Amino acid sequence: MRRRAWERAGSGAVVAAVVVFALAPFAWVVISGFLPEVAILTVPPDWFKFGMILDNYRYIVTGEVPRAYQVGGVLRRMISEEVRAVPRAAFNSTVVALGTLVLNWVLGAPAAYAYARMSFTGRVATFYFITASRLIPAAALAIPYYLIIKGLGLLDHHLALILIHTALTLPFTVLILVLYFRTIPAEIEESAQLDGATRPKILRRIVLPLALPSLVGTGLFAFMLSYGEFLFSMLVLGSPQTRTLPVTLASVSTNPDVTWTLLSAGTTLAVLPALLLVWPIWRYMVRGLVTGAV
Amino acid sequence: MAYALAGGALAVVALFTLYPAGYALVGSLYTLSPILPTSFAGLANYALIFDSPYFGFALRTTSVLALATVPAVLLLGLLVAVMLNRPFRGATLVKVVILLPWTIPAATGGVMWKGVFADSWGALNAVLYDLGAVHNYVPWLTTPRLAFLATTTAQIWAQFPLAAVLLLAAMQAIPGELYEAAALDGAGGLRSFAAITLPHLQPMLVVVTLFEILVALTAFDMIFALTGGGPGTATTVLSYFIWAESFKMLSFGKGLALATIIAGLSVVLIAALMRLMPREALVGEGR
Repeated sequence: MRRRAWERAGSGAVVAAVVVFALAPFAWVVISGFLPEVAILTVPPDWFKFGMILDNYRYIVTGEVPRAYQVGGVLRRMISEEVRAVPRAAFNSTVVALGTLVLNWVLGAPAAYAYARMSFTGRVATFYFITASRLIPAAALAIPYYLIIKGLGLLDHHLALILIHTALTLPFTVLILVLYFRTIPAEIEESAQLDGATRPKILRRIVLPLALPSLVGTGLFAFMLSYGEFLFSMLVLGSPQTRTLPVTLASVSTNPDVTWTLLSAGTTLAVLPALLLVWPIWRYMVRGLVTGAV
Repeated sequence: MAYALAGGALAVVALFTLYPAGYALVGSLYTLSPILPTSFAGLANYALIFDSPYFGFALRTTSVLALATVPAVLLLGLLVAVMLNRPFRGATLVKVVILLPWTIPAATGGVMWKGVFADSWGALNAVLYDLGAVHNYVPWLTTPRLAFLATTTAQIWAQFPLAAVLLLAAMQAIPGELYEAAALDGAGGLRSFAAITLPHLQPMLVVVTLFEILVALTAFDMIFALTGGGPGTATTVLSYFIWAESFKMLSFGKGLALATIIAGLSVVLIAALMRLMPREALVGEGR
């Protein structure tokens, strides 16, 4: 009995340690977003000596320069308009990610159905081609992607990113959906076929509703990848108005004029959608991926 | 009909795979730059890369990063999965919380860890100072070895959740009767873990390992935001090196040659690892 108690205490401690490791950076970002800059530069450290403020958020939303920054001295210049681009960038990221999600469904589901249920010449070869295409490291594709997008006249357009992100996520979508579609009993479709339903109709009316969890799962996966993708977004989008969140945040964080407290407020706003999405992701995506894969 | 259904997906993937790969292969043989006239260079780009000390640095940094993060991610993921596989109060909340690092963009994760490790205003220095563990702030991000340590920590943080979740899912798919039978035969926790859990996890472990190696070899976003490849070349991984060659030095040809080398390396590595993987796990049953 005593051994059981020790075991439970031990595993409890491990779980607690892992949770702290996972959450600590989030906690610090959220806390420091409510602090004036002078608080985090004080030595010995005393974060809450100057109280908590909303000025950082007010600056991002309204552009009103925080009072703490107007006091003078060196700190005064440590502010930049750039951090105000964060909400806009989060919106841009959402647009691109939604586009990627929709395109993944529109292109991925019919393709997956063809691979799961129909026989045609080149089926195996093209399926391998699609699934293996992601083995090329992204950095190797950067310059050619840039040139393709330039050739299509899509530089600085969100559509360019949607296309690229779709190319990056489609292989996973097709693979997972094929595995999932195969678990649906073929008899249901066969009887519909006898009643004269066409393939696209079977897909729409029978297969897609039955495969809903895996559709939500792959859709969320595509959304998350697109929402966070950085390298290609940086290459393809030039102007501040079109930039997505990862690009803007990386640029803000390397801007010496932006204080950490301001950046924290911006980052908190930026990760809010991810924080809100984490529960549906856990529920649908992880299960969808796993029922498909195991 | 099948071609109509599969065609759209195939077209998009082909446009963004075949053309770039072909372009990279051919372009790597040219002196290619937006600021210079294009000329055929043969294998000169490759020679330049292999002669450059920076390639060696970047290759070593990338390998060390992969060697440090992949086993750590697997072990931590496995540990967390084992912990979460037993029901306890608040288990669901813990699962969701642990998934958080993975759901945010890697570049954002880099920014967050910069807040933790920053030399003068980082949370880690403040906490260590308060605990009396240090009397002077530690220059985490401006000391090469420490900056690499910070990068490794951030990379493990970003990657362990996915490993944990996938391994947990695979664990929950193992039939409970196996453990009951093992317990009847007198096997303890460790015995049944070694005899039942690990063998059943093997396909998922291989998948996760492959994926994590790919992630480590192509790591870029997090490092870009956290250290910018520095200080010096301490955290300049291969992907960062490609980026710097192509878009800082504007020598596209050299960047493409580097990209080709890295693609070759990953393909060889993955092919080697795939041989270890049970065939059914990959191909599935055809109809």
